[in-house]
Amino acid sequence: MAKRNACIIAGGMCKWGVREASFVDMFQEAAKECFLDLPTLKPKDVDGLIVATSYAGRCSFQVNTAPVIAERLGLRPTSICTRVDVLCAGGSSGILLAKGLIESGMADIVMVAGGEKLYTPQKWEVFYSELASIDHDWDAPHGLGLPPPFFALTAKEHMKHYGTKKEHLAMVSVVNYGFGSTNPKAQFQKRLTLEEAMNAPLVVTPLTLYDCCPITDGAAAVILAAEEKAKELTDRPLVYVRGGAQVCLHSVSANWPGEHLADWPHLRLAAKRAYETAKLSPSDMHVAQTHDCFSISEVIEVEELGFCKKGEGGEFVFSRQTDLGGKIPINTDGGLLSCGHPFGGTGVRQAIEIMKQLQGRAANQVEGAYFGLTHNLSGMNVEHTIVVYGREPVR
Amino acid sequence: MSEFGIPILKDKYPVTMDMWPLQTKEFNRVYEFYENLKQGRFTTTKCKSCGHVAYPPRVICPECYGEELEYIDLPKRGKVVTFSEEVKGVPLGFESPLIHAIVDLGPESPVRSFLTRIVNCPAGKLKEGDEVELVVFEVPPHPMEVGKGGTVMCERVFFAFQPVRE
Repeated sequence: MAKRNACIIAGGMCKWGVREASFVDMFQEAAKECFLDLPTLKPKDVDGLIVATSYAGRCSFQVNTAPVIAERLGLRPTSICTRVDVLCAGGSSGILLAKGLIESGMADIVMVAGGEKLYTPQKWEVFYSELASIDHDWDAPHGLGLPPPFFALTAKEHMKHYGTKKEHLAMVSVVNYGFGSTNPKAQFQKRLTLEEAMNAPLVVTPLTLYDCCPITDGAAAVILAAEEKAKELTDRPLVYVRGGAQVCLHSVSANWPGEHLADWPHLRLAAKRAYETAKLSPSDMHVAQTHDCFSISEVIEVEELGFCKKGEGGEFVFSRQTDLGGKIPINTDGGLLSCGHPFGGTGVRQAIEIMKQLQGRAANQVEGAYFGLTHNLSGMNVEHTIVVYGREPVR
Repeated sequence: MSEFGIPILKDKYPVTMDMWPLQTKEFNRVYEFYENLKQGRFTTTKCKSCGHVAYPPRVICPECYGEELEYIDLPKRGKVVTFSEEVKGVPLGFESPLIHAIVDLGPESPVRSFLTRIVNCPAGKLKEGDEVELVVFEVPPHPMEVGKGGTVMCERVFFAFQPVRE
């Protein structure tokens, strides 16, 4: 029997931002957008559901979310109906799992839906709840729940070891906000000048307002299907999930695996494994969606993903190598900085953008995009997740 | 408005909203860490079989899965490698400035460096290379039911580091 391949064939997201909507409302909106993206596909065709959410238990007092979402979406899963929680990488985890289930023959058509409702009636609870993102007993009591201090330390270390400048960080925000300005679903549609980014209000030195992604309500959904089912359902170019990897080397900050905070060996390992499974290399990539939770994250990601040399990420982004026409356009839908970051939804949003890029129908289209990847870091930089896509399967 | 929100939880202790660890032996098996901390000792576990030192403390060695562990003392002084200061927008439960530092406990320490809060330090004063020392402080106790209808208060502590005053 020939090897089965998994394709991503449809995707949609609700409007992201501060939403006057509940957790289950937004998943319904996202699923509707997803089915509108491929009208030949009906809810009854879907045999599996993987929900990616981390904060429903905390912010909506709802656990066991998969049956709740399946029912609201009119799905009746018969192969899989479950939920994954790896915070910022939940959506990408769901996609990797769906790929495995489809390739094994256990599932044919799987929806991966991710999202979060983070805004609560009193704002203190949004911030307080973020303490749950990190090791409760050993890191949270130090007040490390909200990520800006940790990424400020990371930025200071990159500046110290590699001479990276504040302008370099600011350019990441300028480019990604530029892309996001064309995305009606993004939290912000605003062009940003380098001057505005440089003169923004301080968050934690050296990070200022536009260096940080916002807190976001939102949901997104994609459909993965076995290749033969995909061919029946769509005339668009097929986009294959070629490979990926998810690497976790530590959890508590004391066990950080790198030489210093700007050295990310867990991402290097994830990249190596992902390229191996996809039988591709960094230079094969035409477009990428990397985890720009902070501007400094993207600077380090372009290095560790192999798009430039270690230590040269600052110059790479400052010379607009991540913009259209650059060496590798990155976060072409606005990224986390502009779209916002409802944790479980982010990997799904990234997958939608890469699918559209490889099908030639993205708003900020990269000419001839054939291979691309998505990347997430999760928690306090404790896990890295990569999914590699291509217009042809691994042979 | 006399009652709002969740009146049934009035005077109740929702552990799911507690940012501090449960430290009594009824709720964890590394309570010795906190007992030691109350004595001013900063400790973690070492495996008696393979010698591996793990932080945070374990009940089972992550290297050899041995269960015979002993508590050893870690240095209570270290040097600031890098730090951040959050002055505005400090989250609930913490005071401004909220300072975090990577602290290097030195080449002799089995746990080399970790991220900690720096307290008793005004904004703008800390420098890389500064010496800091362990400080232990009380955090709010929590109630615990014992037997029929009885409730006791469980005292708790936690730690941070502060600049060494010469």
